[in-house]
Amino acid sequence: MSDDAVFVIDHSRCIGCRACVQACEECGTHRGRSMIHLDEVDAGPLGSRQTAPTVCMHCTDPTCAEVCPADAIKQNEDGVVQSALKPRCIACSNCVLACPFGVPKVVGEIDLMMKCDLCLDRTSAGSKPMCASVCPSDALWYGTPEEFAATRVGTLGDVFAFGDQAVTTRVKVVLGEEPGPLDVLSGRAPASWLDDPFALGEAS
Amino acid sequence: MAVTAQPEPRPAPAGRPWLAGLDRRGVLVGGGLVVLLLVLVYVGSEGLRWFDAALAGYLVGTLLAVFGTAYRYVVWVERPPTRALRARGWQAFWGSGRRLRNLARLPDVLWTRLVGQGFIRSRSLSRWIAHQCVFWGCVLAALVTFPLTFGWLHFESVGQDDARYRAFVAGLGTVEFESRSVAGWLMFHALDVAAVLVLVGVFTFLVRRLRDPGALAVERSGDFLVLAGLFAVSVTGLMLTVSSLWMDGRFYTFLTNVHAATVILGLLYIPFGKLFHIFQRPGTVGLAYTKERWAHEEAATCRGCGEPYAPATQVDDLRRVLPELGFDYRIDPARGGGDHLGFCPRCRRALVARAQSLRVGGFG
Repeated sequence: MSDDAVFVIDHSRCIGCRACVQACEECGTHRGRSMIHLDEVDAGPLGSRQTAPTVCMHCTDPTCAEVCPADAIKQNEDGVVQSALKPRCIACSNCVLACPFGVPKVVGEIDLMMKCDLCLDRTSAGSKPMCASVCPSDALWYGTPEEFAATRVGTLGDVFAFGDQAVTTRVKVVLGEEPGPLDVLSGRAPASWLDDPFALGEAS
Repeated sequence: MAVTAQPEPRPAPAGRPWLAGLDRRGVLVGGGLVVLLLVLVYVGSEGLRWFDAALAGYLVGTLLAVFGTAYRYVVWVERPPTRALRARGWQAFWGSGRRLRNLARLPDVLWTRLVGQGFIRSRSLSRWIAHQCVFWGCVLAALVTFPLTFGWLHFESVGQDDARYRAFVAGLGTVEFESRSVAGWLMFHALDVAAVLVLVGVFTFLVRRLRDPGALAVERSGDFLVLAGLFAVSVTGLMLTVSSLWMDGRFYTFLTNVHAATVILGLLYIPFGKLFHIFQRPGTVGLAYTKERWAHEEAATCRGCGEPYAPATQVDDLRRVLPELGFDYRIDPARGGGDHLGFCPRCRRALVARAQSLRVGGFG
């Protein structure tokens, strides 16, 4: 795999097969524990549900590292934000509560924050991350931008707007044909038509 | 990227630009501790009477390590998130009206969090055994080396009987022991015992680091450096005993210098490297009390799903800390106001997923 390979997420393609969750448990840095969040989210006004996978986005200026009181979260030279350093992490959960993407997990019994390390053991050896290598629908994808352009539609985005805060990430998401920052607040839960069947709320 | 303005760095004092980057409080605390240690060395060694000049290099190394460690500690605890959590720890321990109960629980908290290190055992048994070996080896070595270096500990023969010795601590006679008894052997070979313990731990760690693909993947240079340092200190220390017992003292002076060099370099490494966690880890004691207190306090409720997701105090602390770090997660009042911290982690993930799917025409 080329050095300029990127990790790409397209939540809309997830089919909920949980292959990524199982494969993630095989990763050497956290064997037996999956770091993938596979959430069911409200997907439409009629109450439909959809699964959506989340991995660490590896922010270029990671909020989790900045709020860590133990100075335990570090980035490697490739910009990968690593799980907390084991000697330092005190499992306070500051990172869990500050991460705008809702990624880190704190494992209480081992006093440690854990999260996706982008399968460093594999990607550093030229292989795809476990989850991307098994995802059948390419919701989680790993390859070069050229491969993406040749085989997929849409543009890649790595800037997210969380209210007034812009966050740039190493992991990218698929956008439509229109590039530009992803306004996260645009993803607020769609209101159920049952709550307001005559759209009176919109009228007011 | 962050929208909050950063404070301008203070201008460097004229003619002393190298001082500009120093933390004044760190320098004061570090310098104060160095002076305090020098006074204690003078007093504890009865006016340097029992201070061994041959160990002066160790003392210089210790003083530099004390300054460096104190300096880094002060800078570390003044970081906004550390400062906030430290304040909560003291508040939970000392200001909650449960001081007696907290004090009574302290031995148990210290044991589980710092000494027994059960959290490491939960990570891996071999890792726990290795860490316990290194931990107790270093504790034992420190209990012998520092008092000897400072002139606080010396041994005298009892009367004219060279078979019996008495240990003196700060000029006060303590235990007597037969030099050829088991207790005597342990007393005079405590550093050898410590070195063997450390070596067992170092090799166990090394095997894991070389074999475990996960450990290799997140390897940092400091992980091997600290093992190499502990190995060097232990082996050169053991070689002194080997030289005196089985080599008729050959190379003893050379080995003494090499051993001193490894120890002093090790001491100088403490403030900069992995071993600094020795001073950071006790923060977990305060956190134990803080979490206990938070468990009885109000929880923050997610503005998305309405579920409680975290202690409200911790979320509010982060709201204060984030702007200090240059982050601004506030939401425009026209879009609902508040901030992004008001969403629970699950709702944050759902927001990103839905926002992304909308950009590509929706789910499915």
